[in-house]
Order: sequence, then structure tokens, then C-alpha cells
Amino acid sequence: MALLKLENVTKRFGGLVAVDKVSLEIQPGEFIGIVGPNGSGKTTLFNVINGVYRPEEGKVIFDGKDITRMPAFKRTPLGLGRTFQIPRPFGSASVRENVAIGAMFGTLADKVTVDNALEIADRYINMVGLEAYRDKAAGTLTPVEKKLMEIARALAMRPKLLLMDEAMAGMNPKDIDGMVKFIKRIKEEEKIAIVSMVEHIMRAVAGLAERVVVMNQGAKLVDAKTEEALTDPRVVEVYLGHPADESKWRSDVWKEVRNKDE
Amino acid sequence: MKKTLPKYYPLIPVFAAYLIMFLVGFSIPGMWQMVALLAFYCALGQSWNIFMGMTGYVDFGYVTFIALGTYGMSLGITYLSQYEWLGIGIIVIGFILALFLASLSALLEAFIALRLRGAYFAIACIGINEGLRYLIEGAKFWGGSEGLIFFGALVQALGRETVNQLTTFWADFSVFIIAALAAFLNMHYMRSKIGYALTAVREDEDAAKVMGINANKYKTIAFLTSGWLGAAVGAMAWGLKLGYVYPGDVFVIHYTVECIVVVLLGGAGTLLGPVIGGLIYGLSKYWLAVIMPGFQLLIFAPIIIIIIVVAPEGVVGLLKSKLKGTKLEMFIE
Repeated sequence: MALLKLENVTKRFGGLVAVDKVSLEIQPGEFIGIVGPNGSGKTTLFNVINGVYRPEEGKVIFDGKDITRMPAFKRTPLGLGRTFQIPRPFGSASVRENVAIGAMFGTLADKVTVDNALEIADRYINMVGLEAYRDKAAGTLTPVEKKLMEIARALAMRPKLLLMDEAMAGMNPKDIDGMVKFIKRIKEEEKIAIVSMVEHIMRAVAGLAERVVVMNQGAKLVDAKTEEALTDPRVVEVYLGHPADESKWRSDVWKEVRNKDE
Repeated sequence: MKKTLPKYYPLIPVFAAYLIMFLVGFSIPGMWQMVALLAFYCALGQSWNIFMGMTGYVDFGYVTFIALGTYGMSLGITYLSQYEWLGIGIIVIGFILALFLASLSALLEAFIALRLRGAYFAIACIGINEGLRYLIEGAKFWGGSEGLIFFGALVQALGRETVNQLTTFWADFSVFIIAALAAFLNMHYMRSKIGYALTAVREDEDAAKVMGINANKYKTIAFLTSGWLGAAVGAMAWGLKLGYVYPGDVFVIHYTVECIVVVLLGGAGTLLGPVIGGLIYGLSKYWLAVIMPGFQLLIFAPIIIIIIVVAPEGVVGLLKSKLKGTKLEMFIE
């Protein structure tokens, strides 16, 4: 059974159709990349999945439950974790408290006490390598550290599905490499499904995701295995604006991916 | 390295302050009235601070709770004093009625106003306060604008001796208890999931919701607690102690402003803040009223402005930064 199932989801803002009849299935433990240019509806899709917006049409089914009309805070304990494009730490609270908040109100909400949650927080802080900043106010971290903290906070929720919104945007190549390695590790250790959203088709996604969904103008353009999706002429057109020399594109992309893996 | 601070240490200085105030008032003749006034400000500051400090919402209509508490006690005594067998029970019932009215108003306000943010919330609260006042005056219930005068009924029901003791000692003493209870609840909330949830809500309400936090529920808990304590103070310090209530006397924004001043002076969102703020404000008001009657507010306004500029975190904020890294740190919150 699919962990997450979207059926013909449509979200409009006035006359603008931000998400246009998108259907999607995500299996437990799967890693999916959602790519698409700016304004293609990726973040809105995330917001529909975790309840910030309610869709005008269609259904969102998570873990067998219809959650289309459920408020955001009730979805999280079911196992939906999320990081934000622009990190949203609880600034005055320490890193430890931030991550503990994740543990306290996530899937374990009914079981953990404050002390348990702080212990869980310590574990994930160590995992993302922020132990030196544990008692620092989260608002004083650098952007990269904030992203790591958000991932720790989302993981501390013990989600079944983690939605990562532009986990690598604005990072330099070295940080991106670190993040890619780290996300691979999360996938192996935590055994959760991850949906990672990125604006550009990056080597990162190519190296990580098993499946890629390409969005364009609110609609799902391509949903295929990573290799096929990245070399699909329609995808090339979305990004370059005109049909490109397909064979050149294919060889360029894969040269990069292969270099990465070696 | 694991740092598990003993959880309730910061309560020690707060309780110590209340105990000292009580002992000073109790043992030094002529001091009781002044100490009672100080306790009143501390208790109100402490109660108001639970909601404001934890959620960041400024409740300008807070006096509604104090007023409704006063009315609860007044109604209880006015309508029940004829039943002699109830005895002192009329005060208990009045107190429960005070909490009940405060709960109703808190839940109603939570439903309407807690959906609003920032200035809109503040204005909605003022509106509710003024609305209630004119409702009582206009619809002429609960005595209308003539209020309720029940001191005589109270004397008749309980006897002059008991009433004397109640109004001159127990009413004030209970304010100390309420203040201490407010401090304890505040501390307890800060150290429990409620505190963490509200920290998240205060910093970023939308992100908090995505983290699985039912923002409205936790805000309502803090609001209700804050309201109950305010109503309790009103019931005892205004209702029982004075023996009368007029709508024009109790639904007065001025008292909310005093709460805010007390808390800002001491340090918003801190545990010790309202105590220190209450002491500073109460003492200087008392003293200024003696040497320069009528000029208190004129003098207070610039002092508040200076404090906000020089020490935006209040006296306790200053103290905290001074004590950082020392052993005393764990006692200040």
C-alpha cells in the first residue's frame, strides 16, 4: 500500500491554478525528487500534503487515511515531517529545545515526556553534527546550520515521510556534498520515505533519488525513474525553453552524475 | 556532558520574596496595608505574565477577568447570604462563581480573539472589556450601573467579627497564596510540554502548527490559567475585601496598564520579573501618592520609557546577564 497517495489534487489561488490535477504515489521507504522551475507549484504541493493549504479538488491519503481536510497539526503525529525552504527555527529557543519540540509533538507525542524528548534531541543533534551548538539560540546559527537543525528537528518527529523543501538551496558545492552524503545516511539509518524538492535538476537529486517527478506550471510533467526523467526531452524543454540537442544533454548530465559517484 | 538543571530552583527566590513580604506585613504594625498592595501588584503581574510571557500576546483586556472575578464573589455573597446554613460557604461559592465567569469569558475570548494576532488581538480584548461593562450598565443586570453593595449582607450572614477578619487579613493573605500559585503554575508550564509548545507558537505560529502543535489549544490553556488567577485576585482583593462592586470601577483599562508596567519593569516572560516589578511599582506608587499625590502617572510614564530603552528585558533581564556563568544563574528565570 502506498504511504502517500494524491488523487487529482488541485489547488487554486483565485484564478491561478498552483497545483493542477496532480496524482502521485509514494511507497514506504522510497526516495523521490520533485523538481521544477520556480513557480511550478512544488511548495504549494508540499503545503497541500502537510495541511497548510486545503485543496479545492482531489484527495490526500496518508497511510490509508483520508487527510484532505485534516488540520496541519493533526497530520504531523501521523508521521509527516517537514523542513522549510527558508529555515524556520524557533529563534529564541536553544538548538536542543528546538529539536526536542520536534520529538514532543511528532509521532511519539503521546509517549514521550519532556526529559525523553530532550534525550531524543541529543541523539539527532549528534547525528547532524551540531553538538557544539546545542545550547545556543537557534536564531544565531548560520543558514547551513539552521538547515541541519531543521533536519534534526524533523527527524526527531520520527516521521514515516519526510518532506524536504530545497534542502540544498543556497549552499556552496562543499556543503551540498556533505548534505547529499548526510541525506543518504538518513535514508539508510532511519528507513523513512523522503520527498526532496529542488528547483534545479542538480547532480544531487540525480545521485539520491530513485524516482523523479518533474513539475511544470502546476502540473506533473514527468514521473519516472531518475535516469529517464532527467533525459526526457520535455524536461529539457522546461528548463532550457527550447528543445535541446538531446544526445548532448544526456551525455553531459550523466558525466556529472558518474563523476559524483566516483 | 549532561545538564539537567534542578527543575524548580527558580521558584526559591520568588517564594522567598513573598514570604519576606508576608512576614514584614504580619509582624510590623501598620505595614500590612502596604504589603497587601504590593502583593496585589505582584499577583496581577504574575498572572498576566503567564499568558503574555509564554505566548507573546499582549492582553489589553485583562482587567475583564479581574472584574468578572469581583462580580463572581459579589454575586455569590449578594444572592446567597440569605441562606444562613451556608455560613462561610458563600465565599467558597462566590470564589467558584468567579472562576466560572472567568472561564466563560476566557473561552469566549479565546474563540474570538485568539485567532487574531498582534494589535488586532489587543484591540479585540479591549472591545470585549468595554462591551461587557456597557452591557452590565445598559442591560441593568447584576445591579446595573449602581453595582452591588453587599458588605451589610455579609456582616449579617457571618457576624461582624468574622467579616472583620476576612476583610482585613484573609482577603489579603489569599492574594499572597494566589501570587505564589501563579508563580508555581508559570514555572510548571515552562518546564512541561505546554511551555515548549508555546515557545514554538510565540516564535513562529505557522511553523509550530506544521510541527504538530495545536496552537489554539495551548494558547487557550495559558489564557484560561491567566484568567482564573486574575479572577481569583479580583474576587479576594476587590470583591471580598471591599464589600461592593461598581462596573465603572472594575472594568477599567488602567489596571491592565498597571499589569503591563509591572511586568515590563521586572522583565517580561521571566518568573521573578513580576515580583520585582510589583515591588518597584507598588512601593513607588505608594510613596509617590504620599509625597506627590496625583502625579504618580506623570512620573511613571518617563520611567517606563527609560526602562524600555535602557533595559528592554527589565530588571530581571539585566540581572540574568550579570549572573550568567555564576552559580546563582540557576535561581533566576
